[in-house]
Amino acid sequence: MRKPTFSLALAAALLAGGVLASAPAAAASHYTLDAAKSTLEFTFLQAGAKDTGRFPRFTVTLDCTGADPAGGRLEVTVDVAALDTGDQERDETLRSDDLFAVAKFPQAHFLATRIVKTAGGYEAEGALTIRGVTRETRVPFTFREATEGGAAVGYMAGKTVVRRLDFGVGQGDWKATDQAGNEVTVAFTLRLTSAAH
Amino acid sequence: MALRNTTRRWGVVAQTFHWIIVALIITQVTLAEMADDLPAGVRKLSLLARHKSVGITILGLVVLRLAWRWMNQHPPLPQTLKPYEQALARFTHVALYVLLFLVPLTGWTFSSARGFPVSWFGFFQLPDLVPKSRPLYDALMDAHHVLAWTLVGVAVLHAAAALKHHFWHKDDVLKRMLPFTRT
Repeated sequence: MRKPTFSLALAAALLAGGVLASAPAAAASHYTLDAAKSTLEFTFLQAGAKDTGRFPRFTVTLDCTGADPAGGRLEVTVDVAALDTGDQERDETLRSDDLFAVAKFPQAHFLATRIVKTAGGYEAEGALTIRGVTRETRVPFTFREATEGGAAVGYMAGKTVVRRLDFGVGQGDWKATDQAGNEVTVAFTLRLTSAAH
Repeated sequence: MALRNTTRRWGVVAQTFHWIIVALIITQVTLAEMADDLPAGVRKLSLLARHKSVGITILGLVVLRLAWRWMNQHPPLPQTLKPYEQALARFTHVALYVLLFLVPLTGWTFSSARGFPVSWFGFFQLPDLVPKSRPLYDALMDAHHVLAWTLVGVAVLHAAAALKHHFWHKDDVLKRMLPFTRT
């Protein structure tokens, strides 16, 4: 079984190589965030009730070939201290040392170096760092390319569930999950603008 | 002892509603006072979550209790009462029922205005009654406090009156709401 599979793969590779060689090479794209038209939200369970907050300040860069994120590189940096749940007292609590500890860890970071095409869109796999703790994380997303005013833009959306305790967001009393749920859904709707080069 | 009310005493159902709600109101005041003394944190969240759940329970029980009251006869006020005393007694009872609605409702509403939705013991989440608004939250929270302490005041008056009937007038007004007694 090994040999035919290998031959098949080799044939496919040669064929693909031939096709790629004959097609015009797609340009490298460098997408950056249109912050005004993008949102990054997190939905959590507080005392059994669902509630949503947002991170108003973050940056995103996506480097890929043409308008295809597969095989590209995605980097997201979030200003955690700017978090906004619509309640000042709660925001202060979230910034405190037992939760996000923003004085020591002002930023969260996601660097995906493996982006693959999936049935429903794409999946970015990489290192997510929150509160100084890094974990391998997969983030499924959709990507749609458009041309607006002659410029290439990309619409990217997706969500993933992050377990806050995996990152130490919740020390002391906050390790309990009955009042503040462990699972937090992070959702994003992004508008990216491209500077093809 | 009968489930339904008679002309002489309150039935088991009405008594159960009455005494459970008494116990829950005491629970509510205790939880609220304990939470007030705490800084923002898990303990406070936990106490307030329970306070909200118990409050919604009271609201539900009061609806059922009034429905039961309308489906039943109830023992009349003693004939020995002067007309103004009867009027006062009626007013007190109406006030208690109205407050038993208003206190949980203002609590639920100010939670909505704050943007902290109410969950009933984590089993289900109640809809928000008003959109998020800080001024509305402040006003409703003040109203909740005033109404809650008014409820406690009227309830104390109500209990004092029942004791006065029992020990002073030596009638059966208190006994007909007590289980395991004869009237």
